[in-house]
Amino acid sequence: MDWIAFSLLNGIIYGLLLFMVSAGLTLIFGMMGVLNFAHASFYMLGAYFAYSLQGVVGFVPAIVGATLLAGLVGAGVERWFLRRVHRYGHAHELLLTFGLSFVIAELIKLFFGNYPVDYRIPRSLDVAAFVLGQQQYPAYRLLMGAVALAMFAAIYLLLTRTRVGIVVRSAIYKPRMVEALGHNVQLVFMGVFGVGAALAGLAGAIAGAFYTTSPNMALEVGVMVFVVVVVGGLGSLGGAMLASLLIGVLTSLAVGVDRSAADLLAFLGARDWAEGVGGLLTLKLSSLAATLPFALMLLILLLRPSGLMGDKD
Amino acid sequence: MKKTRLASAALPALLLLAAGAQAAPVKIGMVETLSGPQASSGQAYRAGVRYAIDRLNAAGGWNGEPVQLLEYDNQGGPSGASDKLKAAISDGVQIIVQGASSAIGGQITEDVRKYNLRNPGKEVVYINVGAEALELTGEKCNFHHFRFAGNADVRVQALVKAMKENKSLGTKVYAINQNYSWGQDMEKATVQNAAAGGYQVVEKTLHDVNKIQDFAPYVSKISASGAETVMTGNWSNDLLLMMKASKAAGLKAHFATVFLDQPGNISNAGDLAVGHYVAHVFNAEASGAEGDRFVADYTARIGHAPVFVEPQTVFGLEMVADALKRTKPVNGALDVNAFAKTLEGTRLKTPGGEISVRAADHQALMPMVVSVVSKDARYKADGTAFGFKPVKAFTGEEASTPAQASCKMQRPD
Repeated sequence: MDWIAFSLLNGIIYGLLLFMVSAGLTLIFGMMGVLNFAHASFYMLGAYFAYSLQGVVGFVPAIVGATLLAGLVGAGVERWFLRRVHRYGHAHELLLTFGLSFVIAELIKLFFGNYPVDYRIPRSLDVAAFVLGQQQYPAYRLLMGAVALAMFAAIYLLLTRTRVGIVVRSAIYKPRMVEALGHNVQLVFMGVFGVGAALAGLAGAIAGAFYTTSPNMALEVGVMVFVVVVVGGLGSLGGAMLASLLIGVLTSLAVGVDRSAADLLAFLGARDWAEGVGGLLTLKLSSLAATLPFALMLLILLLRPSGLMGDKD
Repeated sequence: MKKTRLASAALPALLLLAAGAQAAPVKIGMVETLSGPQASSGQAYRAGVRYAIDRLNAAGGWNGEPVQLLEYDNQGGPSGASDKLKAAISDGVQIIVQGASSAIGGQITEDVRKYNLRNPGKEVVYINVGAEALELTGEKCNFHHFRFAGNADVRVQALVKAMKENKSLGTKVYAINQNYSWGQDMEKATVQNAAAGGYQVVEKTLHDVNKIQDFAPYVSKISASGAETVMTGNWSNDLLLMMKASKAAGLKAHFATVFLDQPGNISNAGDLAVGHYVAHVFNAEASGAEGDRFVADYTARIGHAPVFVEPQTVFGLEMVADALKRTKPVNGALDVNAFAKTLEGTRLKTPGGEISVRAADHQALMPMVVSVVSKDARYKADGTAFGFKPVKAFTGEEASTPAQASCKMQRPD
């Protein structure tokens, strides 16, 4: 029983973390139509910025600083790079961000080396929130979950309840009309891209301390983030949240299931046959845990290509 | 008239070229992962190889000429390695060196075997300094492959013996490994050593390689099993993230590992790595004055102390250098088969201890040291306050496990 409670909690928190990273990606895509391949690089930048600042200003200010810096870099990328290729279409934007992800990864290696850096959560936060059975639950995980929820609420309210949100949303659908009304559409786009990058930076600054901060972290999380966005529906914030939680809980629960297709076939009396065949039939579900999200993505693409909550085809 | 003059001019030039090719220096080709996410491992091997070759050349090289080191980037995959191996062979490389990844090692050893079958008299030899999958000295073993590294059987046996002796092993062991040849070998070895170690394998887990960010679900499983020791062959992020997650969950079990000394692990894990064990080839503290001298010299030349896979790479290449010294040139060139036969009989005292090669399967009998992460270690890791304190040292013979029956080696006449 303890085990199920822990697994659910683990899955939900990991899902919330995935949401933190993918929120910016889906936001940028939904608002600007740019599929930002370099998104996970901003996640990595956030972690490295926080690592560099931590020694100077302390942990919490470092996280705030890293968020702002990642946002600034994002805004700069939009202002000086993306804007120039915008008129050539989405393929060029995609290629540009793809190239950018390599440049950022190599720069990180140049400045910080190949190995993980010593970025850790401060001792004051490194405590157990509660103990269940013989296991502690780290308080920092709960904190990560809380930040993700706060982020979700803030973006949602900003877009639906404020004047800024109205301008942003209308700039997407009728840019010329908004421009005619006296709003600076270029600035809106730069702002959206900057905020998206800042969200990734925040996620990196927070998660980098809990997991690891290494030049590979963008690669590790990048693929999963795309899975989240595709499953949730490109451009849908709510979809990203739903997909993140689904993937988090799915992988977490799968780890505990030491069953294979052969066990299932045993009900039909075909266990011996299945074990004789081997291969996929005897592979335990637990050993596939990290692969399940990809299977889920395949399923979604087959059954509902626009994603769980997507409205674009 | 004109034609013949050209021909008569070309002939001596060609002869000159041919003569030049015969007296060409021995070329050692490193086909290693030098770019991409796993580049850091490849670069560690490269540092070790460069150090050993520099020393070989400082001592006069081979046949009066310095040995040439050529570096090829296999880009982290078997297909890239296969291409680069062809390039190396066409560049005249006779000795191939590689270490990172058993998957790549498996590709190279097969390619080398087939090439040698088809090109008798132009053989190349593969010096494996780190691919530890058992099949390389088992089903896939061949005369032109030599492994100067451990393997799962050797590492687990050393860990079990040493940890049992200092009473930290316990009776419940959990095996968690990456789901590919190396991880599966580790799992099998953990099960096989159960009787000798007096423990029970409470649970076995195989998981995807370097794909998992969140190890919390795995740690709850380990915790629920009541394991006292977690035996794992995990490396890189899969080890680091698992240690961090287990510390966060307050898990009390010891980790028994193979790659804990990879740079970045101790600096990133800090005090939460304390009490975890590693089975490695070299620990300067266990090797006394000879070890100190090696560390000082290596640091002076390379810029950092020899850690992780670097010592075994250096020792392996020093074995190669020693065998080269005793291989006589044939028409000014290296006869690879003669070299391989000499290498089989080479016995060398290295800073880690004496190393020899077992002729039956070409597995080197490497010394093993089991160490525990502690503040008392004389050599600190990654600039932290912690280092690896030796618990027990095994000589190459003590650490060795019998050759696998599946190895049927075809020897040249």
